[in-house]
Amino acid sequence: MSSAIVELNDVIKDYPLGKLTVHAVRGVSIRIEKGEFTAIAGPSGSGKTTILNLIGCVDVPTSGKVSVAGSLTNDLGDRALTALRLHKLGFIFQSFNLIGVLNVFQNVEFPLLLQGGMSKGERAKRVDRIVEEVGLTAHVKHRPNELSGGQRQRVAIARALVTNPAIILADEPTANIDSATGHSIIELMKQINDEQKTTFIFSTHDQKVMEQARRIILLKDGVVVDDNAQNGDGQASGAAGEKLSGTDEVEE
Amino acid sequence: MRVFLTIALRNLLLAWRRSAFLGVAIAAVTLLMVLLLSLSQGIRDNLIFAATALTTGHVNVSGFYKTAQGDASPIVTGAAEARAVVEKHLEGVDFIVDRQNGFGKVVSATSSLQSVFKGIDVSQDTRFLKAVQLAEEREYVKDGRAEVIGSAEDLAKPNSILLFASQAKRLEVQVGDALTLTTQTFRGMTNTAEVTVVAVAKDLGMISSFHVFMPPKTLLDIYQLKENTTGVIMVYLDDIDRANEARAELYKAFEDEGYSMMEYDPRPYFMKFEGVMGEDWRGQRIDITTWEDETSFMSWILTAVDTISFILIAVLTIIIAIGITNTMWIAVRERTRELGTVRAIGMSKRQVLLLFMLEALILGFASTVVGAAIGAGIATGITAAHIAVPIEAMQIILMSETVVLSVNLGHVISAVLVFTLVTALAAAWPAIRASRLQPVTAIHHID
Repeated sequence: MSSAIVELNDVIKDYPLGKLTVHAVRGVSIRIEKGEFTAIAGPSGSGKTTILNLIGCVDVPTSGKVSVAGSLTNDLGDRALTALRLHKLGFIFQSFNLIGVLNVFQNVEFPLLLQGGMSKGERAKRVDRIVEEVGLTAHVKHRPNELSGGQRQRVAIARALVTNPAIILADEPTANIDSATGHSIIELMKQINDEQKTTFIFSTHDQKVMEQARRIILLKDGVVVDDNAQNGDGQASGAAGEKLSGTDEVEE
Repeated sequence: MRVFLTIALRNLLLAWRRSAFLGVAIAAVTLLMVLLLSLSQGIRDNLIFAATALTTGHVNVSGFYKTAQGDASPIVTGAAEARAVVEKHLEGVDFIVDRQNGFGKVVSATSSLQSVFKGIDVSQDTRFLKAVQLAEEREYVKDGRAEVIGSAEDLAKPNSILLFASQAKRLEVQVGDALTLTTQTFRGMTNTAEVTVVAVAKDLGMISSFHVFMPPKTLLDIYQLKENTTGVIMVYLDDIDRANEARAELYKAFEDEGYSMMEYDPRPYFMKFEGVMGEDWRGQRIDITTWEDETSFMSWILTAVDTISFILIAVLTIIIAIGITNTMWIAVRERTRELGTVRAIGMSKRQVLLLFMLEALILGFASTVVGAAIGAGIATGITAAHIAVPIEAMQIILMSETVVLSVNLGHVISAVLVFTLVTALAAAWPAIRASRLQPVTAIHHID
């Protein structure tokens, strides 16, 4: 078996909420190998986003260990976590989260500028290639408010891809777009996963999206209730899919 | 850096109403600061011009002569020898002139006034003739002619006197009229002299209101002094900013030449009488002062203008700073989700701080440059327009009959730097808070 690119070991995450404590994740252990195309599924409040935040190094666990791309994040300070996010991770957000004042090219180029060390020509070449891959060459000078939801999410994918990250994390990437566009977005992600072997981890509570995943980790109340990693058929039609179809899908 | 500038600039343009409101406010305060600094500089320039034309050199060699405790004559005996010391030891001198000093009453047929008497040799003192402009007769005589009567060169005639317009008005005299000078000699006797008005000059602010000019001989006669005696040797330097340095050099030179020196006292000579009279020494002592020392009794005007300006600017700066801080808070709140995104993508805290500070600095710098440029333009325009100061008391304080706002490039640059810095400081706290936002909190912020 290859080495895990993401490993969560008995992770607990609690949030204070006034005088109460919300137990968002209760002792989750997950191991994701390089090149996997994994969906973290579950109803609203099940802990999907929290797990993604922990893997994405934008949050730290209350207890347990989180290892990302060979680094144990518990031991890292803000600078190291920022560097890890910049060089090893790519993010796709539910609400696209593009920088409104930058055009498509500039949004995609932005992480490369933060990384530094690349000439203007090299950056332009890389951005043009990625923009072409996501089919937005014609819109390269457009700003986000001039694009449809699907196009914006493609820009977000391009921005996540441009640094060649080891892992791309997508939080409900199809939640704010219509189902046909959502399907095409997941197909695009899948294609990139096939071609570039980039590890994709995305959260969803949409049955159709989940069916496109090769592995489904099903959460409920902060606990993993099913993981079809051992199914071996690469489809999400196993027990996890069936279990989710029985849950109440509440918008998160 | 370029992308940060792009983001900062476009965000400012996106929130153009807010940016414009704040920009106008910053520009307005900068403009006001430039105007007030120009006013202060204008008064200072007028003061230097009037003072150095009428009463002081850049550096002055004067002193007191005592025959007994209880007397004090503000004279320099051996004027030619003292002047030779200056010529020998001081470099960077434009020219040297000496004038007699006195104090007494000027009496006309209808009125009188107390004044400083200045004995001036117009054949040598060309600077005085260049600086003093003669007034038209109507400026000091009711229904007078719109022409200049008399000539300052006529001060070369014995027993002549030059007055300023406000003095002529008060004494109700015109060119050709006779006046009586009354004074106490340094030996304590009362003496008088009859003089004729040969010229009336335009007022030069407060200083001109208590100075009258006459030939040296008239003053020597009235005080019964010897020929080789003067009141002050006035030294004009190539660079007025070297005055203090020159004062120190002259002090040492006179000391080295064996003169007895007075301890340095940065006040005009007429404020030193009492102290000198109480001292127990005899003979001549030399005093070296600068133009600033001789005009220090008027420094309250500049201090008052500067203090009022400072308070006004400080209050407005505080208001502006609060406005900037609030605006930046709004910007941070509005863009919290964006901040979370860029932090998640890999932007460091320092870069977030830079991003927000850049916005504030761009707005601050652009606004202050515009404000300062407009302020400098208005100041130049007002001065060029020769706007009359309607109230005489204000003319005395402003040292001019017209409003003079003197734009100084250093002041303009200072105003730009100060308000850009204020903008940056006011934006610093919101920017620091923005940089400290946890990415996870920011990403899930609900707008």
